[in-house]
Amino acid sequence: MRILVLTKSVPDLVEELVLDEDSGELLHDEMTYVPSEWDDHAVEEALLIKEDSNADVTVLAVDTGDVDNMLFTALAKGADRAIKLQGDFDLSTSNRKRAQAIAHYVKENPYDLILSGVQAIDDIDGQIPAMVAGLLGMPHASVVTDVRLDGDRVHFHQEYGGGLQAELASQTPVVLGIQAARKPPRYASIAKVRQMMKSSVLEEVEVAVEEVPELEIRRFFKPVAAGHAEMIDGDAEEVAERIVSILKERNLVRG
Amino acid sequence: MALRDVLMAATIIMFVAAGAIFSRRFWNIYQVMKKSRPTNRSDRLGERLTSTFIQVFAHKRMLKIRYSGVLHLFIFSGFVVLLIDVVGSILQLFVAGFSIGPVLGMIVDIWVCLVLIGVVMAIYQRAVIKPERYHGSDETDGYIILGMITMIVIGIAIHESFYPYAAIPVFGVKSAPIGAMEFLAYGLSHLWATLGWTAPRAASIGYAVGYAMDILVIWIFLAYLPYSKHLHVFLAIPNIFVRKMRPPGELVPSPVPEEGIAIRSFGDLSWKDVMDLYTCTECGRCQAVCPAHAAGQALSPKMIILELREALKKELAGGEPIPLAGGVVSQEELWACTTCGACMEACPVFIEHVPKIVGMRAALLEDGEIDKSAQKVLVGWDRQGNSFGQPLKKRPQWTKGLDVAIKDARREPVDWLWFVGDFASYDPRLQDLTRLVAQLLQRAEVDFGILYDGESNSGNDALRIGEFGLFEALAQKNLAKLEEAQYNMIFTTDPHSLNALKNEYVKYGFDRPVKHYTEAFVDLIEGGKFDLKPLGIRATYHDPCYLGRWNRIFDAPRELIKRVGVDLVEMPRHGENSFCCGAGGGRIWMEEVGIKERPADQRIKEALTLEGVTHFVVACPKDVAMFTAAVASTGNEGRLRVVDVAELLAEAAGLGIPDKLVATR
Repeated sequence: MRILVLTKSVPDLVEELVLDEDSGELLHDEMTYVPSEWDDHAVEEALLIKEDSNADVTVLAVDTGDVDNMLFTALAKGADRAIKLQGDFDLSTSNRKRAQAIAHYVKENPYDLILSGVQAIDDIDGQIPAMVAGLLGMPHASVVTDVRLDGDRVHFHQEYGGGLQAELASQTPVVLGIQAARKPPRYASIAKVRQMMKSSVLEEVEVAVEEVPELEIRRFFKPVAAGHAEMIDGDAEEVAERIVSILKERNLVRG
Repeated sequence: MALRDVLMAATIIMFVAAGAIFSRRFWNIYQVMKKSRPTNRSDRLGERLTSTFIQVFAHKRMLKIRYSGVLHLFIFSGFVVLLIDVVGSILQLFVAGFSIGPVLGMIVDIWVCLVLIGVVMAIYQRAVIKPERYHGSDETDGYIILGMITMIVIGIAIHESFYPYAAIPVFGVKSAPIGAMEFLAYGLSHLWATLGWTAPRAASIGYAVGYAMDILVIWIFLAYLPYSKHLHVFLAIPNIFVRKMRPPGELVPSPVPEEGIAIRSFGDLSWKDVMDLYTCTECGRCQAVCPAHAAGQALSPKMIILELREALKKELAGGEPIPLAGGVVSQEELWACTTCGACMEACPVFIEHVPKIVGMRAALLEDGEIDKSAQKVLVGWDRQGNSFGQPLKKRPQWTKGLDVAIKDARREPVDWLWFVGDFASYDPRLQDLTRLVAQLLQRAEVDFGILYDGESNSGNDALRIGEFGLFEALAQKNLAKLEEAQYNMIFTTDPHSLNALKNEYVKYGFDRPVKHYTEAFVDLIEGGKFDLKPLGIRATYHDPCYLGRWNRIFDAPRELIKRVGVDLVEMPRHGENSFCCGAGGGRIWMEEVGIKERPADQRIKEALTLEGVTHFVVACPKDVAMFTAAVASTGNEGRLRVVDVAELLAEAAGLGIPDKLVATR
């Protein structure tokens, strides 16, 4: 069983996003990038599957300029190979274009199971796994947990609203968007990552991506702080009355 | 065959057999030590010799527990003195008519009595007092040895007292009667006469039995020792001699093993670590002082040593090697350690527990196993250089509330460079305190500065979690910034930073003077920089592990407390015997697994036993956080207030203290 894990780096939200106030562009080069949290879970789930059933795990990242450390970290955690897709990419490359690049690569290099984080902070609607599956014509499920192999079939859980969960199975190949790994992602010690940098190489694969339809972002705005919360004092009656009057003031209720 | 020939033959045969068993065992241990990592233990020879002498002959650490120390001193000195008897008795057997003389004979008799008193005390301790520290030790082994010692010393008295009557039948020489100086043999020989046991046959049997109990049991003892905890008879003195003489706070000395600090198998231990295992006497003094053990957690430093020793014995006997970290020693045990060093301070034979624990933690960490909250902190240190998950840029934000701006030591030369540390910089509960320290420095007209967002966590705790690579990365970052700055001295409020700067950065060539704020403030007071008004309160002081035990700074904080007119009352456990707050070694970020009573809560209760003490003085930002929480959780808010020494100084110096701080009045 060959597993491919799609990983990407995202701006570190601990630090502030840097915006050019005039043009409204994100200044990618001035921000710190870290591995996407959900991709960490996808890597962990792949490694757990590997421990269960002897699969071969490859991690992949589109080379946006700062992905080496992320890939070496995945190798330090136990991934078997790491692929860097090279081409005309940078930190601002859209998810649509990234998906296209990944699809091109997978067409040439088939895998049985493709995992990705269900979403990323710059891909909140989780487009990457769905688009990759769509471009490749593969089955796909997102918001997935607990992936297990059973012969050439893959069993997994999918979360629904209202606390419902389904147990699904699929033939391979399949693309899954991982919500959370069975265990919290393991730690890769700095020494081990350094050791990987010395002892292993990232495979660089050149991919050419044609023009793809993309969203055009006109500009970003920083969120504006709009006043403070109002604390409502008084007994239940008074509080309820005040809430109703606020809702009425804002035209949020009729009557 | 004559009785003398039988005894001579038995002496020789048993000596050879015991010697062979003994040497073989030592050879095996030597082989393990030969294959382990190097460590330099031949530095500072003079000091080594003196301290070995103090520890061995004056029993310095042993006497910390008076009762055990005294009984051990009786038995130990007996071993030394009774060597006279061993030589004398053997010579007497082989050289007819030999005698050690009345003076040496009297000395032997005195020590026979002292050893017997020691043995009785030891049995009373094991059987009646039953200290908790023995829990987990091999008690049978203890009793076997005590039994053998009893037999040996009684044997001495018996064969000595029968000798005058047995001299002719056994040796064919005449012996003078025993003089009163050899009081024990003298008394017993009169007893035998009264009992009518002086005829040749009875006297010969009496002599032979006594000799066998003495010399022959000694040979059995020799063969048994290397398989029991009593190997310390031979290894304790060498182990004390090869103790660590470098600064106590330096966990990883240079050169760092190329393969890293992780301890996975016995080959990853240093030869001193291996020697430690065989030297352990199972006395449990480490267990008795361990905060994790006291809290009810899985850890006992003694059991770690014993588990390792058992596993090594099994491996030497041909057993399949078991991974040390997480196998021989469980993860729960390893992560429970606060690296407070109380175990190492208590160990009479200078076993080094903490480096072994951290080495095994490093092995777990390399396999990705670590408490998830602590993992977040490691990632935070790697990305933002702090444990609070806060942006790097916010590190100097605490300076915002000050009237006078603080110099940026990266841009202009300063006299004192203040290394602030994570907690003092980021913890909202502590920022007022940090500002107060700044105001004190400004009041004393000290020319000081900070590194602003150029400072990263010192890496002290990262290293103690077992993450050497991260420690190194943090150290390099700080060293690069320190390189840029111009200063005469580093000043720090945080004992953990102090320890790293003072002891762990040495391996990268850093050797600038570093002072804790308590030391620096005492200097300022001496220099007349503050006009102090006595506070007139009664307080106790908690020694932070990384200030006291690991850096031996005990006096400065006490001096400071006295200078501000505080009546200082010591807790039972103070100075080098201080009891950890439970936060060190990364514990502050880890989940509290299996804790029945937090060490900090126990400490607050200890302070409350002191009459009239209203204030609990600390000198470490983590302690402020830990003990304020402990006072609250034990419901003692009205009775005891946690204050930092800086607050006391500020109050005495007449600086306004912000309301949020725990004021002294």
